[in-house]
Amino acid sequence: MGLFDFLKGPSPEQLARRAEAERRRADILNALAQGVVPNGVRTRLEGARNRTLPWTATLTPAELLIARSHGLKPIAAVAASCWLHYGWSWTEGHAEGWGMALRRLRDEAIAAGANAVLDVKMRTIPLRIDTSMDYTLIGTAVYVEGLPPSKEPIVATVPALEFVRLLEADVVPTGIAIGAHYEWLMPGTWGSDPNMRWMGNIESRQFSDLWNTVRDRAHQQLRVHARSQGNGVLAHLNFSQMFEDEDPNNRERKRYLARHIVVATTVDAKRGVPLSHGITPVVDIHAGATPLKPAGRHHESYSNESEGAI
Amino acid sequence: MASDIPVHAKERLKGLRSSAHSTGVFTSDFSVNEFLLVRKAGFEPIGLCVGTCVYHVGIQYGAWSKNQELDVLSKAMYHARELAMSRMRAEATAMGADGIVGVKLTIKRLEWDEHLLEFIAIGTGVVHGDGQKGFRAHDGGPFTSDLSGQDFWSLLHSGYRPVEMVMGSCVYHVAHRGMLSGFSNIGRNVELENFTSAMYEAREVAIERMQFEAAAAKAEGVVGVDIHEGSYGWHTHVIEFFAIGTAVLPLGEEIAPDKIADPIMVLSVND
Repeated sequence: MGLFDFLKGPSPEQLARRAEAERRRADILNALAQGVVPNGVRTRLEGARNRTLPWTATLTPAELLIARSHGLKPIAAVAASCWLHYGWSWTEGHAEGWGMALRRLRDEAIAAGANAVLDVKMRTIPLRIDTSMDYTLIGTAVYVEGLPPSKEPIVATVPALEFVRLLEADVVPTGIAIGAHYEWLMPGTWGSDPNMRWMGNIESRQFSDLWNTVRDRAHQQLRVHARSQGNGVLAHLNFSQMFEDEDPNNRERKRYLARHIVVATTVDAKRGVPLSHGITPVVDIHAGATPLKPAGRHHESYSNESEGAI
Repeated sequence: MASDIPVHAKERLKGLRSSAHSTGVFTSDFSVNEFLLVRKAGFEPIGLCVGTCVYHVGIQYGAWSKNQELDVLSKAMYHARELAMSRMRAEATAMGADGIVGVKLTIKRLEWDEHLLEFIAIGTGVVHGDGQKGFRAHDGGPFTSDLSGQDFWSLLHSGYRPVEMVMGSCVYHVAHRGMLSGFSNIGRNVELENFTSAMYEAREVAIERMQFEAAAAKAEGVVGVDIHEGSYGWHTHVIEFFAIGTAVLPLGEEIAPDKIADPIMVLSVND
């Protein structure tokens, strides 16, 4: 690379690369608008499925081992994103954003001719752009030897080891359910300040009630969303925040916002059937944290930081 | 590359290779479990291999309102990693290793110059106990892999062997948009498709490049793929998508599922 390269015009090779990039960009934008998988992605997935391209998997070798011993074969790492501007409602945005990403992930799994997507992780790209946020799901599409491709592949937010463990117990992880709810508390006039000015012990009923309502509704929504995918959920994560704010119509008054988000893995499980599971209890003499327990979090989208509108 | 290794380093490496002799010493960053499992898999560690590259990353600005790959930065990240990896591999070749396991690839920023990045590749060189050369990469050099000792053992037992650590990088500029706050009044949340498509493109390019490297290494698949995003002191709208994994090939012939021993399920009763 020369010092004055920037003075030269682009080379034919550079022009070809730019044109290629433009085509890819147009393809992706068009696919998002149509609600289909971009052609570039489709080519990559089909290549991995019919083995003209190397397969790719987010699985660790131990997971590959157990996947292989159970007849599961990896196809490709799949990923889906939805970048949402939550100017209207931050809380509801989470249900919308994850929901959209989930739909796109399923579409990619179908394009890959998969039976399931394993090891699905929830991610947020660490770019802070105004009041918007990215919802990304990354996982590995797999097929079961001898099974035809599924019309509705299952999406499992558990690592492959746990997926197999659940399958052996006749439990099928099916997808992700989300419940999100927020509510404003606007205290009335004199005497109803939810912040206690009293010196003794007393419950702040207004805040208690606020939280009860918000959490109730969020869990209700979770149940409704879960029912469309399975008959149960395994709790995944809970996230809640509360803010104090000025009433825009009356600066003298305070108002309070509470919001709660629940995200969980839905499962389809036979109820009331006893489990036959050959588990050997062991004492682990490993020093420090036991490697038998998974360490990493399966999501990195929620912390205790507060952000954004509602 | 091998000829670049200083004389004293060669001396040190020779000493390591003679680990079978009483005068030789092997070095590794293995934990006890890793050490035992690598040996159980039929390999012996011979020495830590290190490759370093301090790289001046060029300057490139994205057009303010345009989604685009910053290819000068992509190339820099790629080239610098490649240099660090190939130097590590040259050390391994010099000590006669059949492969390198547990490779850690890290990037550090140098405090006094925002354009200088330090790339470090470090891993443990291993040789096959029976002198089997079949484990080497397609070019006859040592295989590379970011797998830990435990993972290495598991991989061999699932019927695969590591070939090469493969990666793909794409540094991307996400377009700016004005007037976002105007959306708050339209009564619903809106997807910013421009941003979504930027994520798709950057990630796809990174995965494709990784897959291309795997195909070039004549691998069958890539295991342990990690796709992550990082920013190394760049502008706020610039981000690197990085895909990395270990390309693998079946051992001689792929093992049928029923021939793979079923792992025993255990439950730790430790608290």
